[in-house]
Amino acid sequence: MSTLRFFLRVLLGFSVLIVLATATWAHGAEIRIADSKGDWGYPNPWKHYPRGPGYVRMSWVFETLVWKDENGIVPALARSWYYDRDRRAFVFEMVAGAKWHDGKPVTPEDVAFTVEYFKKHPYGWVVLDYVERAEPTGPNQVTFFLKRPYAPFMEDVGGTMPILPKHIWEKVPDPKAYGEPAAFVGCGPFVFKDFDVAKGTYLYVAFPEYYLGRPKVERLIYVRALDPLAALLSGQAHLANIEPEMRPLLESRGMTVIADRAGWVKKLMINHRMFPLNDKRFREALAYAISQEEIIEKAHRGRGRAASYGLLSVDHDDYNPNTPGYPHDPSRSRQILESMGFELGKDGFYYKDGEALRLELLASSITVAGQPAADRDGEVIRDQLESVGIRVDLRNMEQTTTDAKVKNWDFQLAISGHGGIMGDPKILNEMISEEYAAGSVNSARFQDNKELLKLLETQMLEMDPAKRRAMVYRIQEIFAEELPSICLYYPETLAAYDPKKGIRWFYTKGGISKGIPIAQNKLSLIR
Amino acid sequence: MHRKVTATLKGDKWFITGAAMGGLMALIALVGPYLVPYNPQEMSFQPFARPSWEHPLGVNDGGQDILSELVHGVRNSLSFGAMVGGLALILAVGVGLVASWYDGVVGKLLMSCADIFMAIPSVMILILVAALFQPSATVLALVLAGLSWPTTAKAVRAQALVLRDALHVRAAVQMGGSAWYIMTRHLVPETFPLYLVGFVAKARMAVFTEASLGFLGLFDPERKSLGEMIHYALRYYYMDTWWNWLFPAVLCLSVSIMAAGFMAISLERVLDPRLRSLWG
Amino acid sequence: MGRKAKTLGNVVNFLVAFSLLVYLSYALPRLMPGDFVTAMFASSHVTLSAQQEAEAKAYFQREEGFGLYLLRIVRFDWGWSYALFQPVLSLILQALPWTLVLAGGAHVLASVCGFVMGVEAAWRRGSRVDRALVGAMTMLEGVQEMAVGVALVAIFALHLHWFPTGGAETPYAEVSLEARLVDMAHHLVLPMATLVISYLPGNFLLARNSMVMVLGKEFILTARAKGLPEKRVRYAHAARNALLPVLTRFGLRLAFMVTGVVVVETMFSYPGLGTLLFNAIRSRDLPLVQGVVLFSSAVVLVVNVALEFVYTRVDPRTRHAP
Repeated sequence: MSTLRFFLRVLLGFSVLIVLATATWAHGAEIRIADSKGDWGYPNPWKHYPRGPGYVRMSWVFETLVWKDENGIVPALARSWYYDRDRRAFVFEMVAGAKWHDGKPVTPEDVAFTVEYFKKHPYGWVVLDYVERAEPTGPNQVTFFLKRPYAPFMEDVGGTMPILPKHIWEKVPDPKAYGEPAAFVGCGPFVFKDFDVAKGTYLYVAFPEYYLGRPKVERLIYVRALDPLAALLSGQAHLANIEPEMRPLLESRGMTVIADRAGWVKKLMINHRMFPLNDKRFREALAYAISQEEIIEKAHRGRGRAASYGLLSVDHDDYNPNTPGYPHDPSRSRQILESMGFELGKDGFYYKDGEALRLELLASSITVAGQPAADRDGEVIRDQLESVGIRVDLRNMEQTTTDAKVKNWDFQLAISGHGGIMGDPKILNEMISEEYAAGSVNSARFQDNKELLKLLETQMLEMDPAKRRAMVYRIQEIFAEELPSICLYYPETLAAYDPKKGIRWFYTKGGISKGIPIAQNKLSLIR
Repeated sequence: MHRKVTATLKGDKWFITGAAMGGLMALIALVGPYLVPYNPQEMSFQPFARPSWEHPLGVNDGGQDILSELVHGVRNSLSFGAMVGGLALILAVGVGLVASWYDGVVGKLLMSCADIFMAIPSVMILILVAALFQPSATVLALVLAGLSWPTTAKAVRAQALVLRDALHVRAAVQMGGSAWYIMTRHLVPETFPLYLVGFVAKARMAVFTEASLGFLGLFDPERKSLGEMIHYALRYYYMDTWWNWLFPAVLCLSVSIMAAGFMAISLERVLDPRLRSLWG
Repeated sequence: MGRKAKTLGNVVNFLVAFSLLVYLSYALPRLMPGDFVTAMFASSHVTLSAQQEAEAKAYFQREEGFGLYLLRIVRFDWGWSYALFQPVLSLILQALPWTLVLAGGAHVLASVCGFVMGVEAAWRRGSRVDRALVGAMTMLEGVQEMAVGVALVAIFALHLHWFPTGGAETPYAEVSLEARLVDMAHHLVLPMATLVISYLPGNFLLARNSMVMVLGKEFILTARAKGLPEKRVRYAHAARNALLPVLTRFGLRLAFMVTGVVVVETMFSYPGLGTLLFNAIRSRDLPLVQGVVLFSSAVVLVVNVALEFVYTRVDPRTRHAP
């Protein structure tokens, strides 16, 4: 009775709340981007997390010499450039009139200073080991002198290195600890205003004096939303990465869905330092036992593409179409196993010297382009291997635990993945050789093939694109023959946005900077 | 006394409903797995297929038959929940009663233990356990039981402390009843309602935790469970699979807990003579 | 044992438990496999050479003994988060109000509603209303938090567009304080509703059962015989005795606040302590994990001690237990 009245009053209060609150949702010209993690660090080179989304958040504030759009390299702070083979130098003609957010002009001195500063305080995304120095060589010209030829220079340094304002950083001894507002002064299209760590939200405000013109929106906001579908449909966000199944519903509600080329690969990591995985034949047997198509069919309902075994993406300009492949062939797999001395037991599994052939497979919810997702890949692979006769112990672990085990060689098989396979072929070095990436979890760290290692070294020094391509072709071939890790498939990477906001988002060719497969290219808000 | 109890139980509506539901779930759990046509791990069907004669509940995202998944899940989840509930209950009652009786140093020590166990965030313990051991059902059950006994132990202790001062207990002490006697004859039966509530609560928590473990990626892919089913079904909530995928799993869970709850209510009424008069 | 000795005993108890918890907050996070550098750089575009990795690890993992840790804690220097570059204590204090409002509010609401409904149902025990309520509540008990949350979002946020799908408030709305408060309340509705629906059945059943147990006692009969009004008998006499278990439960649940609402906080992107801890564990942000574990342990302990005092106030019978 009185309780009933009480509840009625509460209900009335709620209704008032609804009416009032929906009024506060009216906003000016702003774009909101949804992301499931939210927090990727403060947007400056030393503070953003060393992952794609972290770099992207920094890229709104800081500019590079060159940039990329959906078709390839485009000018940014540099309007033209060329390589001087005799002097082993890259010469950049910079645009005139670019300004820092505090009003001061951007000069070649800033570029030269940036190189010096990054040499003193390394920034993981840019390798400056082969750059001797950078010098201002004209009112709007800067020249980079290389110690030795460095093929990935344009993408690595030109397209990834953010230019720092000399007048601010020359006074800063320890950039990691520097948190003043001046640490976020760049010359990019947006000025960094706020990052709320707990909520995972970012606020950027347009920089009216941006050298390519005033950005199309006044404010750019990142919000954290676990469910991109709900965020898009409710208007909470205007751009988000989505799962393939969400496509029909979103398109029926007027959202535009865009798809990336193959920029991210799922791999089966192999501990090739222990028996029987140290034998190349065994790894071949695994490859024949695994059906890439079946994994895509069963675990992802056909959404994805079979991967090239040569590590580089099939959509890459330097993809070798003659890379050896391993079509699904269980009988061939068994042949190989038997030639290695394994015997088929009565239970249908293989034994050697009385011991069962048993492998442990680690799976975890891997972060694909910033979003963690558990999937059934492990289950399918287990079924495939067991049907050939190899016993598999499938273990689902938390991601960092799996990563730590892989890094310490405390595993046999593990499922992992990474992006960057559309970027510069330098990714091959990083994902194959221990020399470049002993500390990486995704690298195969395979030192057994001398020809491979030699090629990896020389491809970095070859400045002639045609010659380099030949080397890259051969690298893919050898990698596919040796199989230190088996590439499985490219997941379908999709993003959806609300076209009514008047912004067209796209996937960058080759990925943003080093190959980040995310559809948040700043050019969408400028042109 | 037993004949009277069973007779009363048989006539009690709560019990009949509860037992019927419980019986149904138990039947599914015990016999179901042998009756379903498919292996729940078999991923060879058309994903997200609508319900049909071959697949009465349709197919899930991995191409597995939902009905088979459900039946196996019921068996695994119910046994998991019961295991955790039982273990936690034994621990809780034991510790709670001992702490209430020996309310000096021993009691305080035990309650401190309870506080410490309660205070540690379970998320961390679960990750630690999963990393160091295999996240098998038994290990997980032990861990969850170990983390959840404190709350019921405290409630048992609180109630037992009150009971200790009751006239009949004090009389028993005066008449020379030993601690063991008093505990078994008086305290244990009289705190009975708390057990059932506690058991059901722990079992429920255990099964729900299974689904949350999906967040951490800690479920055991070899074992189908209702929690895992619900986790995946929720991920694809927009696929319009409410009725054939999510709902059955949630319903099974709900019915199981309801069965336990109803039976708990009726057992309370019947076994506690003081309460009988209240229910008429 | 006198009152003084008993209080002393309680204090000693508390201190021992607390020290053990401080030690656990120090030791347990270190047992987690993997480390910050691995977590940060996994699946990353930045590959580390062996030397870079060693340097990074050295920068982040300055080993310290338990003694030093203790000293720091006491001075409220809880360290700096590896990932977020902010003092741990300030991060915790930033996230705390959100969790308090969400979890605390939900608990209070669920306890009060559950208590009142339970008492009313027990009073009408055996009737159709009582049986219907018990049936409905038991059925609700079997539905998971996550399922409730998703259902609420699907209906009220997606279909009806009445409430936002997540977040604590509209980001960077730049409006007046009153509008901001209303906006926050608006965002609070769905997550709190999810929690209240999850907590209500348990509270209801507990209150009802405790009430039923008490109703048969003689003093109730006496009160009724005295001719006291029904409401008074119900609440001032009977329910007061059933209050103890409900209060205990409320206290215990409140103590669990930090980690108890991780699921709902994550689902609705609510920036509370649960999300903070969860993300910190995922990225192996050791100082932050240690800080939150310590903080939540302290909260649990303090609440329990407070509960002990409240017991004696609410139920005089326990006061005499030696």
